[in-house]
Amino acid sequence: MRASIISTMRLLEMSDSQFPVGNFSFSNGLETASYEKIVHDADTLRQYVEAASIQSAFSDGIASIHAYRAVDDNNYQEVLHADEEVILCKMNDEARQMVLRMGKKMAELIVHITDCPMMEQFLKDINAGVTAGTYPIAQAIAMHHAGISEEDMFTSQQFGVINMILGAALRCVRVSHYDTQKIAYEMAQRIADDYQTVKDSDYEDMRAFVPGMDIMASLHEKGNMRMFMN
Amino acid sequence: MKDVYNAPEMQRVVAMREMQPYNHPTRAMYLGAPGKVGYLRLGFELDSDGKSILRDHERIAPLIVQQELYCDEAMPEMPVVYILSSGGPNVDGDRYEQEIEMRRNSIGHVTTGAATKIAEMKDNFSALYQKITLEEGSYLEFIPEATIPCRNARYITYTDIICHPTATLFYSELFMCGRKHRDNEIFQYDILSVTCNARRHDGQRLFREKFIIEPKNYPLRNLGLMGRFDMYANVIVLTPPEKAEEIYKATEVGFFDNGKIGVGLTRLPNNAGLLYKVVGMETQPVKTRIREFCSTVRQAVKGKPILPDFPWR
Repeated sequence: MRASIISTMRLLEMSDSQFPVGNFSFSNGLETASYEKIVHDADTLRQYVEAASIQSAFSDGIASIHAYRAVDDNNYQEVLHADEEVILCKMNDEARQMVLRMGKKMAELIVHITDCPMMEQFLKDINAGVTAGTYPIAQAIAMHHAGISEEDMFTSQQFGVINMILGAALRCVRVSHYDTQKIAYEMAQRIADDYQTVKDSDYEDMRAFVPGMDIMASLHEKGNMRMFMN
Repeated sequence: MKDVYNAPEMQRVVAMREMQPYNHPTRAMYLGAPGKVGYLRLGFELDSDGKSILRDHERIAPLIVQQELYCDEAMPEMPVVYILSSGGPNVDGDRYEQEIEMRRNSIGHVTTGAATKIAEMKDNFSALYQKITLEEGSYLEFIPEATIPCRNARYITYTDIICHPTATLFYSELFMCGRKHRDNEIFQYDILSVTCNARRHDGQRLFREKFIIEPKNYPLRNLGLMGRFDMYANVIVLTPPEKAEEIYKATEVGFFDNGKIGVGLTRLPNNAGLLYKVVGMETQPVKTRIREFCSTVRQAVKGKPILPDFPWR
């Protein structure tokens, strides 16, 4: 019971949008989608969130599950391999910058708040240019260290993606808190279903097909809108 | 003669997880039968006068290739090669392999004579493995006509690219939703799996782009995916970073023609080049965007534009 409370407490802490890794600063392209009036109400927002969730589950999600299992086996080289796969498959430049900034922040934060030798090594390797240091892999190291299960880590990652967009939506789309919470509540089933597929997937299965989001992201990348970071 | 069917590259493609629900023996011609396995290798290089030529090639029908033509009026020094398939559409159990070698400083343009139709399928799937190698200073435009996945079609392509840092590759793929104007066949295929894996000659990995479209199991009309659009083009440009930056700055992105076409552009991992995406309602406007983008690339790399396409294309 005591261990469960501790790991749940840490899961909630690391999943919170106030956890200072920068989650609150990004919109995952929603700022442009809103400006272009493509996302303009609860239904279009729900679609956007679903697309982002699928993309994350079948790319970052697969790599982080492999990294989590590598941490469990104390196989640091495999952790670095998973980190490389995230970057190789992250085709969108803005999204790439996002996972790198958040990954480094996560590593710095964990090293500051707890004694985690693998994260110390990971941070050293990020600073030395040995590895890229992506967010999904930093999450795998941190959450394994905190006693959080693989399933809960995946759930937390997906919650992070959904919450990032819903948080941004409250600032740039005409939706209410009731709308955003309904979307988050309903996405739980999708995340549970996706986990059943990705838990048995390999690096070769990492993929993304979100052309609509990609076009929005490139408009943001080349545009001047800057309520959120790129 | 290359044993395409049993080659490790093809076995790897066929073993991909997403194709296993369809990996059954065919009831018509058996897997690996003559006519169901095609191979094509094209080797471009400079001759003793410095002219780029199709120096050598190998082929196994149904993949065939014509003699190179010098028909590009804006760049008459560039050999243009048309790949043809004498077998008609791809059917269940077809296995094709294409290799293109661009030797030092050679240039070339490779296309297809017509759209690649992926026929309706009952058993198994069709697979294509490609390997494109670009040596120092070489330049290749690979712009095939559209791929049309028909009802219940299953198709997997896997492309390995080995590119020298000074070479340029323009690699485009255009996927239609089906035979849109025949029986309103829109996104009725089973699966389309496309992977592009790029690296340097020394083995340094650059990126791996993979997408799988399963219209029957996927919210394809989600606005973050295809939304209301029916056509999708994916263009990879591998080129030195200074050229990539010039192309990036010269390319417009966004929604055009009253929202009937959407265009996106981003930088690839590891400073490898650019990734350009187009979605549209009809094929021709998407092809036009690809051609305009290719013209920007050619202008940046070779200092020459691309002229409008032949009216019959």
